[in-house]
Amino acid sequence: MNEPIDRQIVVSHVIDAPRELVFEAFTDVRHLSQWWGPDGFTTTTRAFEFCAGGEWVFMMHGPDGTHYPEWIRWQEISPPERIALLHGAFPDDPDAFESLLTFEQESGGTRVVMRTVFPTKELRDEAVEKYRAIEGGRQTLRALGEYLRDISGSSR
Amino acid sequence: MARAATTSDAFNAIAEPQRRELLDRLRDGERAVGELALEMGMTQPQASKHLRVLREVGLVRVREAGRQRLYELDSSGLLPVQEWLGGFERFWSESFDRLGEYVQSLSRSQGEGDP
Repeated sequence: MNEPIDRQIVVSHVIDAPRELVFEAFTDVRHLSQWWGPDGFTTTTRAFEFCAGGEWVFMMHGPDGTHYPEWIRWQEISPPERIALLHGAFPDDPDAFESLLTFEQESGGTRVVMRTVFPTKELRDEAVEKYRAIEGGRQTLRALGEYLRDISGSSR
Repeated sequence: MARAATTSDAFNAIAEPQRRELLDRLRDGERAVGELALEMGMTQPQASKHLRVLREVGLVRVREAGRQRLYELDSSGLLPVQEWLGGFERFWSESFDRLGEYVQSLSRSQGEGDP
């Protein structure tokens, strides 16, 4: 297997919760809408079907008011171990990229690894740039994000 | 004062304000080292020295054109910096932080009633 190192990005994270529960948080919009995106981001879902071949069509809203169209097609779903998905901006986006999420039980909880492979190095660089811009819009509004989180925390 | 190894990576290279200014001035395309030096009020050897550092960490490329040395941006060298500043990787890392908080709140609500 060749290693497309310049076309991929790997993000790894340990979550202090059982694997089944972490996996469950991906299976329903009710859950996804609670955590998708950094602080201050929200989503509005147009269509959602969690099954192999099913799609999630939604709009992501940045804290600065920018809207980002998003499209995800679930390629493979193997509870509670892995999810393969195709991620673009609209249905059948030719620049969509593939991400493989794996969930592993560890002593400290669950390790979630997201390995994303872009079709070309240029698309990888574009994604980095796009997400840097998204994050840039967020940085200045970090305080707002924290405020929103406080509100959501105190309303429980 | 201890000196960082300026040539070791892009982070060190762009820590120097004049090198950042050189990168800014190359945004619109290829420039001759003499022009850059003149605009920035430095000598040509000073500009060349900074540009060499930028070249060694992959932030600029150089070519000879007659008697001139022309520099242009090589944005691939900036990738590690962009990612560190917050690109795709940070976006997801922070989403996963929120995922962790959310899952723990789920876990607590499912465990209600336990001591």
